[in-house]
Parts: sequence; structure tokens; C-alpha cells
Amino acid sequence: MDRKTFLGATGALIGGFTIPFNKSFAKDGSEVITIKKPPYLQKGSVVGVTAPAGFITHEEIQPAVQVMQSWGYDIVVGDTIGKKDFTYGGTDDERLSDLQKMLDDPKIAAIMCARGGYGSIRIVDRLNWTRFKQKPKWVIGFSDITVLHSHIHRNLKIASIHSKMINSFPDDWNTAQPVQIETIISIQDALTGKKMSYSASPNPRNRQGVAEGLLVGGNLKTLETLSGTVSDINTDGKILFVEDTGEYLYSIDRMFWNLKRTGKLKNLAALVVGGFRVKPDDPGEEFGKTIEEIVMEKVNGYKYPVCFDFPVGHQVNNFALKCGVKHRLTIKENEASLSEIL
Amino acid sequence: MKVTIPPYLQKGDTIGIVAPAGFMPIEKMQTCIETLDSWGYNVHMGATTHSNSENYFSGTDEERLNDLQQMLDDRNVKAILCARGGYGTSRIIDDISFKKFRKHPKWIIGFSDITVLHAHIFSRYKIASLHAPMAAAFNDGEFDNQYIHSLKDALSGIPSHYECAPHAFNKTGEAKGELVGGNLSLLAHLIGTKSDIKTKDRILFLEDVGEYLYNVDRLLLQLKRSGKFDKLAGLIIGGFTESKDTERPFGKSIYDIIYEQVGDYHFPICFGFPVSHDKENYALKIGVEFQLQVQSEKAILWE
Repeated sequence: MDRKTFLGATGALIGGFTIPFNKSFAKDGSEVITIKKPPYLQKGSVVGVTAPAGFITHEEIQPAVQVMQSWGYDIVVGDTIGKKDFTYGGTDDERLSDLQKMLDDPKIAAIMCARGGYGSIRIVDRLNWTRFKQKPKWVIGFSDITVLHSHIHRNLKIASIHSKMINSFPDDWNTAQPVQIETIISIQDALTGKKMSYSASPNPRNRQGVAEGLLVGGNLKTLETLSGTVSDINTDGKILFVEDTGEYLYSIDRMFWNLKRTGKLKNLAALVVGGFRVKPDDPGEEFGKTIEEIVMEKVNGYKYPVCFDFPVGHQVNNFALKCGVKHRLTIKENEASLSEIL
Repeated sequence: MKVTIPPYLQKGDTIGIVAPAGFMPIEKMQTCIETLDSWGYNVHMGATTHSNSENYFSGTDEERLNDLQQMLDDRNVKAILCARGGYGTSRIIDDISFKKFRKHPKWIIGFSDITVLHAHIFSRYKIASLHAPMAAAFNDGEFDNQYIHSLKDALSGIPSHYECAPHAFNKTGEAKGELVGGNLSLLAHLIGTKSDIKTKDRILFLEDVGEYLYNVDRLLLQLKRSGKFDKLAGLIIGGFTESKDTERPFGKSIYDIIYEQVGDYHFPICFGFPVSHDKENYALKIGVEFQLQVQSEKAILWE
């Protein structure tokens, strides 16, 4: 049975009208997706800074702290900042307890992860989400933080922000290149409730079309390692974005096969391919396919729009995206844009 | 469904050689061919073993698929030895027809990327296969070592009996169950797909090569979080060779990492079993019932 079910809003009231909040094509019609958006931030809101994966020093967080203070936010620096347990920002217990405190603290309106690296997966199953669920807040980050986005989307149905983190803020705002400033400002825009709208340079390999759906995704390798687990992402009826860095082409190919063979490409509304910083093939081991070819051969049998070169990934032009929020992707010959919609 | 054991080989039987994944020059298969010949088998070389491919693969998807398909379908071929792994089996697995193979099962031999075939065949059709050395393992004068011998014995139907030195991390105990496993990265890659393996009441073996330490940790967590260890009968940890560390040191050795993830379970665990990308790589019959005995002075795995 592949019944397409329109799932209407539950209580999204704007201007006295009930408007469709989101729709989803649930396979059996049983899944009702109502994604909650945490409250947007105001002047005086509190942002917590924590390191659930790799370590960071107090000194390294200063530029970001100052910028966020200039936005009018109070910053709470978590206990994991300045901690170091080999690659981690503290032991599992320390990282868990820091993130848990921030999830539970009703004064904290957003949690900005300091950096990615590796480690979120080691604590995600021990987090208690009870208070976070009662009082949602924005969780911000990317790369290894994809674990949190995917887990939160799947299990708690709360929106989150996929964006640069503390370690990507420019050391000196005045000499930073414009695109770097823009990407940091996009985090502020996302946090204050501005409707996000981005365009990408049209890639001739794009597949044209217009699609709407909840935006989900993140780091491809991280998504693959969530397959078959409680944090596994459900992509049906959604716009999926993926990015990765430092992987061989063959490995990227294998990851897209994983998406395909786990059914994640089948019922998509659209596919957005961000930056893939590829590890060069070893001599004599030339893979012989481009990212575009790797992707297009996996989605050949489907009709949804596909966008390449979207500005998300381990790169300077990595803009803030609201995961779990409804977007429209428009791909035309001379246009590639992604916009948040009601 | 009962497990089907393909017929063991007789002198004069034919072994087909294919390259379903990466490219390998045929010169590097020579010793393997000669050795199989000396064991009394005919060797039938598939098209992908002498392809003129210029890129990573031994041929296009279609060429690799056709070659493997012909070997699967050819009733004269009693076993298929994969020349090498690399990457590429995932790209053709869903297009292979196992119709004739199911009627007339034969041994499929290989490891690494060939884990995809092993997992797929056993989880879907319950047909046993051979996780064992491939062509390169015969080279450099190694064609007569105990691991190559174990392949010879396995093919001719001699029941396997392997012993392994004790390891400080071993968990003693006994387990009995069908043997499943292979390359950790590939097994994780198959989770959630129709080739995914079930591990309940089974003995699982794992090996890998060239992975970052943090990634081995993450892959084991994926196995753990997808329930692969929950009802496992026993665990065999092979070689995790050429592991790589990140710029910021991970701070744990490979076996520390593995022990931390699995040490709390109650099943017996054998570390350092000779199954790996190095020459220490015994032939293991996937799907066949084995007994694992981990004692303080040694570990034994036998059919």
C-alpha cells in the first residue's frame, strides 16, 4: 500500500486561519508529522555553548562569543569548553552532562555546538529529552552534529539548525571575506525567525522541477552510520540535503548506494547535494565518475528535482538551514533556490 | 529455512575466477591459478579477469554483472573465486539473478568487498559461502601457507578446526551457532538494506583494514545501536590492520576501542583471530554451524 496521505496542521494558527503546517507522504498513512519549531530568539535570549564531540579551547570560542553577544544574546559557556580528553571535549560523561544541562535549563534558548569532529553518537542514547521536549530550543551545528539533528527530527519532531559552529566564526570580523560574514549572519537570521531563502548557481546537471517538503539531512557519512538505529532519518516526502568531506569518490558512491538501498531516495520530494570535498583517488585507482554522475545514476528512476552545488558543507559558503522546517526547492534552467515556506 | 551447503569440490571440478569489484592485472592472479590447478581443479577465467579497464573497476557495472552472472548460472562451474575486493559489489548486487544459483548452489569465495555477496546470499537465501583468501594472497611465495591450505581444505569438505592464541581482552566461554560476518565497514554499510545480516544466536566475526580509529568506534556503535550484539552467541575479532589515526590522536588502541564497545556483553569474545587483510586469514564457512570455545590458554573455532 502506498497511500499518499495529506496530513494537515494541528494548531498552526496564523492570523486566525488554520493553515497547512506540513504534509507528509507516509507509506502506511500512520505517521503524523508535526514538527515543532522552538521559539525564536530575542535580544537578551541565552545561547549555550557546548562541545558534544571534539574539543575546543576557551580562546578559540572568543570570536564567536563576541559576535553572538553583539547580536544581543547572553552566552553561557558550558563546562566542556576548555576540556580535552584526547580528541573529545571531555569524557563521555562530561560531554553528556554538559549537553544535558543545556537541554534542561529553561533559560537557554539555543545550544550552539562548538565544533564537530567525532563523539555525539557516543552520548546520544544517554541523553534525556523530557525537558527539551516540553520546552524545545534550537540545537545548532553540522558534521558530527548531524547525529543530533537526525535523532531529534526522528524521535522528538523538533526543528533544529544545520549551520556553521563556533569554530567557523571569523577571528576578525573586519577582515573576514564577505561570504563568511554572510554565512554567520544566516545563523542570526535563522535564530531570529527570518524566513530563509537561498540560491545556488545553477548546475547544468541539475534536474528541474519544483518541490515542497520538510528539509532534513546533513553529513552523508554520519547519516549512513545512523542506518538501522533509533536515530535513523526518515526521508519520505521530504527534501533531503547531504554533504561530506575528505571521502574518496568510491566511498561517496557507496554511501549513495546505502541511501538508495535503505529506501531513502525512493519517496523523496527533492534531493539537494551540497559540497563534497573529495579525497583524490590514489594513482591507478581512478574512480572515473563525478559527484554528479554518482548521484544521478542513483536517482535515475525517480522524477523529483535534484540540485547540485548547494551552499552547504565543509566549506566557506555553508549557510544555515532549518531542519524539520518546510521548504520549497525550485530548480529551473537558470535558477536553483531553496526557500522556507509556511 | 535450513541452511544449504553447496557441494564440496572433487578433483577435476571447475573453479571460475571473476573480479566483481576492483581491477586486478591477470599477472597477479597467476600463482593463484597455478595453485588451484595443482590442487586438481580446472580454472575458468571470467571476462573481468582480463579486461582492458583503465579505471578503478575491473569493467563496467554491466561487464562485472554479466561475468558474475554467467559464472553463477554455468552448471560446470562448481565454485567462484573472486580475484580481489576493492569496491564495486554493492553497485551490481541488486541486479544479480540468483535463480539458477539457488537451484544449484556453489561456493562463492572472497572477503573484504565480497562481504556484500556473502551477507546477501546468506541473509536472503541461506546458502553457505566462503570468506577466504583471494588471488593476491597466493603471491610472494605464500601459496603454500596454512591460510591458503585452509581454503583448500574447506573446498574439499574437510571440516574446519582453528586454534588461536589467547588475548588479554578475550572473554571466556562457549558458543554454538551459524557463522556470519566479514568486513566491518561493509556490514555496517548493509544495515537497513535487504542484504543486512541477522546475528541472533549466531557467531559474528569482524575484520577491517585502513579505517580511522574513530570510524571503527562509530561503526561498532552502529552495529550496537542496530541491535547486532543483543542476542549474539559469540564474537570473533580478527585483524584491524593499517588503522589510521586523526591529527588529534584518538588515544586508544584498536582493540581498546572494540573492547569498550562489546566488553559488557555476556557472550564469549575471541580477539586476534586470524581473519584479516593480512596473510593471517583462515577460510571461514559463512552460514555453517560452528562452535567457539574461548579458554584462558587458547581459543578454538570448529565446525
